[in-house]
Amino acid sequence: MTAAAELVKMKICMAGEAMVGKTSLIRRYVLEEYEDRYTATLGTKITKKSLGVAHPQDGHRVEVNLILWDIMGTPTLRDLLKEAYYHGAHGILGVADLTREETLRELDAWSRSIRTVAGSVPTYMVVNKADLEGEARMDRGTIDAFCRDRGYPWSYTSAKTGAGVEEAFEGLVRHVLSR
Amino acid sequence: MRPHDDRDLKGAPPLRRPETSVLVKEALRKDANDVDALFVLAALRAQDGHPDEGLTILDRVLVIDPGYPGAWFFKEKLHRMRGETRQAETAREQGEATEA
Ligand SMILES: Nc1nc2c(ncn2[C@@H]2O[C@H](COP(=O)(O)OP(=O)(O)OP(=O)(O)O)[C@@H](O)[C@H]2O)c(=O)[nH]1
Ligand SMILES: [Mg+2]
Repeated sequence: MTAAAELVKMKICMAGEAMVGKTSLIRRYVLEEYEDRYTATLGTKITKKSLGVAHPQDGHRVEVNLILWDIMGTPTLRDLLKEAYYHGAHGILGVADLTREETLRELDAWSRSIRTVAGSVPTYMVVNKADLEGEARMDRGTIDAFCRDRGYPWSYTSAKTGAGVEEAFEGLVRHVLSR
Repeated sequence: MRPHDDRDLKGAPPLRRPETSVLVKEALRKDANDVDALFVLAALRAQDGHPDEGLTILDRVLVIDPGYPGAWFFKEKLHRMRGETRQAETAREQGEATEA
């Protein structure tokens, strides 16, 4: 007989500047849908998804109920709304946009804000819009160095094509479980 | 104010996020009880130095949707900004219960 899977509830919050693709990544991951048209997020949105993973430490089965929090990429309201967004977060998915260099650096400001509410939450970073290779404004070496300094695992994603999206969310879940 | 409803531009995606206050106004014009717009309006009023107005609007959000994500913790914060410790504690408890 196999042991019943351990049940884990996980609040995952998105972080990152406007238009980097936070909403699109959740949409792609949960609904397998994508829209080229931009609809700016207003308020906070919750989406749920469950997945089974092998525990990174000993391989036992874990059934994870993910609660994905999508937020507005508006730095001006970030500090005012940080408790509303990040209270009780177990993990952060930081999102940068391959075609806009500043979206990588700005993740530090998001991270500082999050830390004051939730402490040092495990963070995984994605560089989204990987399909726009020709318009890249950051190279792999820069991203590697940025993430190494901060202890973030990272990967490329494209919410548009779907490439790397599932792997990124699962990578974040494993990162949270391994803490 | 500059015009910035980039969303109406044909073809190319907009270069920046439209002003949040404009998004709020548009949403409330369509539906005065749009809970997302009201939540953000509460934040904008508080940001502009009117936490009291923010709280009034936030209370409307919580009547429409008592489970609105993050609203109780935001309410806690606004009460703390006004030095209302007891109300802040109550809001926090509600938040913990709602999001558990
Ligand atoms: N080419 C390409 N475009 C993308 C990708 N992901 C998102 N987009 C587009 O980028 C724009 C912004 O995407 P959103 O998901 O709305 O961005 P957001 O981070 O949620 O933005 P806010 O809600 O304003 O914080 C939209 O036009 C998307 O279609 C991607 O992987 N590739
Ligand atoms: Mg969004």
